[in-house]
Amino acid sequence: MKRQKQNNITIHHERKFLDLVFVSNIFVFILFLIGFRLGTRMNGEFSLFTPARWILLYIAVLGILVALSIFWRTGGAWVNQTLVYQILLAGCIFMILPFFWMIITSFKTYKEAMAFPPLWWPEKFQWKNWVEAWNAPKANTYGDPPVPLTFTRYFFVSVLVGLATTGGILFTSALAAYAFAKMKFPGKGLFFYIILAMMMVPGQALLIPNYLTLAKFHWLDRYHALVIPWLANVFTIFLMRQFFMTIPNDLWDAAQIDGAGRFRFLWQVMIPLSKPVLITAGIFDFLGSWNSLFWPLIVVTRPEMRTLMVGLQAFNQDAGSDYHLLMAASTFAVLPIVFIFFFLQRFFIQGIARTGLKS
Amino acid sequence: MKRGQNKFKRRLKEYSEAYLYLLPALGVVALFWLFPVILSIIVSFTNWKGLDTWSTVKWVGFANYANVLMDEEFHQSLLNTFHYAMYSAPLTFIVSLIAAILLNTRIRGRSFFRTVYFLPFITTWVAISILWKYFYHRDFGLANYFLKSLGLKPLQWLSEPKGIFTLLFAPLGIDIKRPLLAGPSLAMFSIILTSIWRSVGYYMIIFLAGLQNIDKSYYEAAEIDGANPWQRFLHITFPLLSPITFFILIVSLINSFKVFVPMLIMTPSGGPDNTTITIVFHLYEKGFQGLWLMGRASAVAYILFLIILGITLIQNLFLGRRVHYES
Repeated sequence: MKRQKQNNITIHHERKFLDLVFVSNIFVFILFLIGFRLGTRMNGEFSLFTPARWILLYIAVLGILVALSIFWRTGGAWVNQTLVYQILLAGCIFMILPFFWMIITSFKTYKEAMAFPPLWWPEKFQWKNWVEAWNAPKANTYGDPPVPLTFTRYFFVSVLVGLATTGGILFTSALAAYAFAKMKFPGKGLFFYIILAMMMVPGQALLIPNYLTLAKFHWLDRYHALVIPWLANVFTIFLMRQFFMTIPNDLWDAAQIDGAGRFRFLWQVMIPLSKPVLITAGIFDFLGSWNSLFWPLIVVTRPEMRTLMVGLQAFNQDAGSDYHLLMAASTFAVLPIVFIFFFLQRFFIQGIARTGLKS
Repeated sequence: MKRGQNKFKRRLKEYSEAYLYLLPALGVVALFWLFPVILSIIVSFTNWKGLDTWSTVKWVGFANYANVLMDEEFHQSLLNTFHYAMYSAPLTFIVSLIAAILLNTRIRGRSFFRTVYFLPFITTWVAISILWKYFYHRDFGLANYFLKSLGLKPLQWLSEPKGIFTLLFAPLGIDIKRPLLAGPSLAMFSIILTSIWRSVGYYMIIFLAGLQNIDKSYYEAAEIDGANPWQRFLHITFPLLSPITFFILIVSLINSFKVFVPMLIMTPSGGPDNTTITIVFHLYEKGFQGLWLMGRASAVAYILFLIILGITLIQNLFLGRRVHYES
């Protein structure tokens, strides 16, 4: 009875201070808007009404809240919680601002992108920047590549390499993880240690010998070079082994009675059961392949074999100070991953939390 | 007798099946991880250049290592990498711990904040580096705009070779010249800030998972005993979080020794006075640009490998003892 009453009080209390947070943030937001408006209108003149000064004011307000929460220890719960919200929101602005800036700049003209003080909103949205950036590699390559070179090609290579790598890793890891989790064989510990030790070796230290090996195989500038060296992934093997170990052995006994072999058991029972783990691992494998730059930069010299990241890097070198185009290219290079993230966020978070806790 | 033979046969079958399952993964590991570790030692003792073949390559003994260790640029790259690791790892650690603790209080919209903080981490280093290069631009970057509108002098950001502490103490009339005391150059520090911005969300999520694993009853007991929030943090949260802290320290330190991409894009020529050349950047320059000195670059790679191995071992020895494990 007493506990329930207490809960009611907290809920009531929370609501009250949430309103407070809400109002105070609307207030701050209006201040921001006024600041931005006035700040951008006074070209060159740095008056009191610049966004930066409002941010300073905001920081001062936060400072006062900190002081209040320190001096007013008891009964200062709402101050504390307002403070928590305000700090988190300030952090949010810091996290989002560069992205906002990237997207807005991608719609500016060359002149607007070079304006000082910067413009927070373009005069007119230049959608053609995106088209121009997308087709830019064609203008920047010399010679005669066998395929028309635009970002379409870079995307194609990246998606193909990413999918092949992810699929390959999941295949090799499922087999290895199954052997480590459910089978007995001599040298199990040794092999496990070999794979464990592999984690300690930084990939960069192996670039040169791997480059020489690939050159010997005549794999440079081919998909082989981008996919095959990455087909074993320690993180994925660990994650799957961990999960396989939680699946009871009774299932295997039952499958044996039904006359299934190990391989069939693995693909028809174990794999469907471990879908969440497969998705989590798959996301990270795909992300790793998609975002990697160093390795593709070295093994790829022909422009039509560039992955998206290598293409973006090359564009960065060619574009010079065309920041509006660079920002457009950066935006569409980032967008697919952001989309995947919003749909599969749960798996991202789980995957990371798990690696942290298990290690 | 027959039964024993059958058993033996069955076992043999199981073993061979297990090895067959391990084959794909171990094959890749052997060919692209184990073999190169050995090949890289051999290459580092030769004058291998570009795509030379064995017949033209000469054994040069320790000459590569001697050259690397005498190289001024390598010293600079060691110092730069050391600066990067010393500042980015702890700062990221502190910021993400604070963010995680704030998120772990009773607030609404936790998943919203988590998403926003995590967003930079999934975006690629290449795009982010281009973006921040623009952000730090001397003439029309946002960073200088904020400084100017606060009435401060604009900074050179990515083209400032002076150390941050030199810059900080210059107005007080103190001139810091020793490279270790001067701290990373402002150019390097700009990159450090970018890396903090990018990875806070990642470490925050790991911390958050750890915080949520701590039993609430500890806090209730401490509250009854009259412990204030700071004491609760120091005597409950921090010790119980230490396995995760340990993990994060190792991972972020090792990662910061491998940093390369932001430097390549934000300061492609090595930054002002070479102050943003890292070990991997140096390796890339020596091995894959200009003269393609594979032997020399392999020596650099091996030194990097030893450094990272060293960090892991030292951390295991010293920090491992202090870690509290929940039973």
